[in-house]
Amino acid sequence: MRLGTSLRQAVRGAALACAVSVAALTAAPAMAEYPSASERLDWTIAFGPGGGNDIMARTIISILEKYKLYPGEIVAQNRSGGSGAVGWGHLFNQKGNPYGISTTSGSFLTTPLKANTPWGPSSFTPVALLAADDLILVVNKDSPIKTFEDWVESSKKTAPALGGMGAVNVDFIVPTLLAEKAGYEFEYVAFNKQGELTTALLSGALDAMVVNTGEVSGLIEAGDIRPIAFTGSQTPDWLKGVPTLAEKGYDFGISAPRGVVLPPDVPKEAQDWWIKTMKEVINKPEWQEYIKKHDLTPTVLWGDEFTKFLETNQETFGRVLKAKGVIQ
Amino acid sequence: MELFDHLLLGLSVAITPINIVYLLAGAMIGMIVGIIPGFGPAAGLSILLPLTFGMDPIGAIMMLAAIYYGAMYGGTITSILLNTPGESAVVASTFDGYPLAQQGRAGPALVMQAVASFFGGTVGVILITVLAAVFALVTRSFGPPEFFMLVMMGMVTLVVLIGDNWRYGAVSALIGFALGTVGVDLETGLQRFTFGSAELIGGIEFIPIAIGLFGLGELYYAFYQGLHRAGSGGIIQYQNEKEFWPNAQDWIVSKLALVRGSILGFCVGLMPGAGATVASLMAYSIEKSSSKTPERFGKGAMEGLVAPEAANNAASAGAMVPLLTLGIPGSASTAVLLAAFVLWGVKPGPLLMEQNPELAWGLVASMYLGNMALLAINIFAIPVFVMMLKVPYRLLAPAVILVCTMGTFSVHGSIIEVWLMFAAGIVGFFMKLYGYSPAATVLALVLGPLAEETLRQTLIISRGSPLIFVERGTSLIILLITLGVVAFGIYMSHSRKAEKMKANAVDTSSE
Repeated sequence: MRLGTSLRQAVRGAALACAVSVAALTAAPAMAEYPSASERLDWTIAFGPGGGNDIMARTIISILEKYKLYPGEIVAQNRSGGSGAVGWGHLFNQKGNPYGISTTSGSFLTTPLKANTPWGPSSFTPVALLAADDLILVVNKDSPIKTFEDWVESSKKTAPALGGMGAVNVDFIVPTLLAEKAGYEFEYVAFNKQGELTTALLSGALDAMVVNTGEVSGLIEAGDIRPIAFTGSQTPDWLKGVPTLAEKGYDFGISAPRGVVLPPDVPKEAQDWWIKTMKEVINKPEWQEYIKKHDLTPTVLWGDEFTKFLETNQETFGRVLKAKGVIQ
Repeated sequence: MELFDHLLLGLSVAITPINIVYLLAGAMIGMIVGIIPGFGPAAGLSILLPLTFGMDPIGAIMMLAAIYYGAMYGGTITSILLNTPGESAVVASTFDGYPLAQQGRAGPALVMQAVASFFGGTVGVILITVLAAVFALVTRSFGPPEFFMLVMMGMVTLVVLIGDNWRYGAVSALIGFALGTVGVDLETGLQRFTFGSAELIGGIEFIPIAIGLFGLGELYYAFYQGLHRAGSGGIIQYQNEKEFWPNAQDWIVSKLALVRGSILGFCVGLMPGAGATVASLMAYSIEKSSSKTPERFGKGAMEGLVAPEAANNAASAGAMVPLLTLGIPGSASTAVLLAAFVLWGVKPGPLLMEQNPELAWGLVASMYLGNMALLAINIFAIPVFVMMLKVPYRLLAPAVILVCTMGTFSVHGSIIEVWLMFAAGIVGFFMKLYGYSPAATVLALVLGPLAEETLRQTLIISRGSPLIFVERGTSLIILLITLGVVAFGIYMSHSRKAEKMKANAVDTSSE
């Protein structure tokens, strides 16, 4: 943190002619050399090992190491707890430190809404949004609903029971926005575990569910469940023929953000360095393979664009959840 | 026959020197992971998952699966020796396992638990091999209403556990239900009793409470009795070599318990989310209520240990069915296995067994081998574990506290959970002192939130109508079975009372 302060002082000092000589002499070499090979990069993973966030962080780290994109040592630390509150709280407290970094996922938006965290998604220095976890609306194979139009029409007649993961989640927001705009009502049924949600649909208890495509790709391929619409900007190859919500005139731009952020108030040099480096990372075959294997939609936004995305998403979340009485 | 072709294919894949090494390594790691309290299969798997990145997929999945079911063998050891269940599925094994050890029969108890685990695991794999496709249908018919009915069946267990002093038992259960309400409310997203702590939004976990109530509570109680001043005295007695093997009586009483526990465990394991914990508790209560001598339970009845052990291992095999046939994880551990499948580019789902027969059948075949290996490892390792009992209590106790603390902390890296564990330890001590039932508390903690969730889900789906429970076939069947179990229990206790009266009259009391 001391380093961060001196860097900021350096930036401010540059405006003052008399301070230039002193400050630049002490801090400028550090900036020029970012990242310094002697500094360890502390990579916070806000979830336990084996989860989505963990796998993404470790994939990026292995690419950085394989192609020697980062000169120093990278230490990945799982700081799980409180749906990410602990890990991202740790990053938040490293204000100005260019050697702290973390990967984001859906909880990055939802946890600040659930718990009163001192940080919000836009508190951090943004590097990039790399991919989005998009959802797919599916029905049981025995359902009379075949197309998106069928879904809207039948929902207008009788309110369907639609399942998803948790209440403060993209799974609730997207169907709510869709129903509002298309003009129908529905009952949302929240689940805690994906397995229970999927079997609830298979057993015919639910009329439909929203789910991350990767979770049910096997069931879709086998024809046990039928995809109706995809919430992302572009349907994955193996789901060709399934419309996106945007194509049907419902573009909400909401998704769980898989990106990279630095602690708050990190100097611009460090941010720029990471933007440049992440641009290289996403062009490597390992990253492409990761995206494909986990059925993510490559959705890339850099720096402030990423923050803007986070802000829009969080605003929508807050508005919808407040309207539905989920949060105060 | 096609079936044997499949199994042969599986064996040919599984039996390569390197895969056998992975399998044995996995089984050993699983045992150790299971032994450390707090450190269940899910935690072990997720930590070891990254280590398998460079491995061949089939070997890696065989190893991970071996860790998964190996942990079920190991988990019981501390339940029996220290009254400290390492994870929720082995809570039922403390009820009679620990009393057996206290009576100096730790050797037979450990051997029988290994045999029961092997039996349950093997029955489970046989059922997967023969009938996986049929059992997938069971999973497919399971929605929130069925789940709620299953939880109600588990609640019947609670009544059996509460035992004689129903007032104390009810208070114990209510404590568990109360703890279960902490966390973010699933349907509305509102915080309940979290006091603004981000670490409590996920609710109070089972592990710190169970370790505290059972393990630490027992330790504090032993301090209270002054065991640490008894010099060389161990926590429990263990006499000599001749007490190592189970006697004929143990086998006779366990015979039916093994079969019942295995089949019940497998069927319950098929339901996502219910899993090994509910299975083992149900097996215990069925064993107790169908026994001619239920008063022996909780005081070292061998069948009271064998039934839940067979059940939890069969359930962990049963949980592989939704994973292999539908790509649905039934538990935290199988979710990690699923993540492993995805990492290796295997698409889990109904087509898995067709598209990747080598992998699927290799895994099934490896489970036969793994269970045999674990039985052997267990029997050889038991004398080592029993040595632990010879360690003077004043040395053993601090070590146990250390291991419990580290195990609890390692699960989520949460210091709040460690404090919860110590607090639960103090409560556990008083529960033991005054005869409350910590078992009822932990069971209520597991079942309470499940019941709440599934009931609310069901009623949202049915728009508030409870008729949904009888309109859906599977739900109705479970309801009828539950009623049957209750009726049977009542009948048994009545007929026992009648018998007792008769026996008293003629004065021919059997053992």
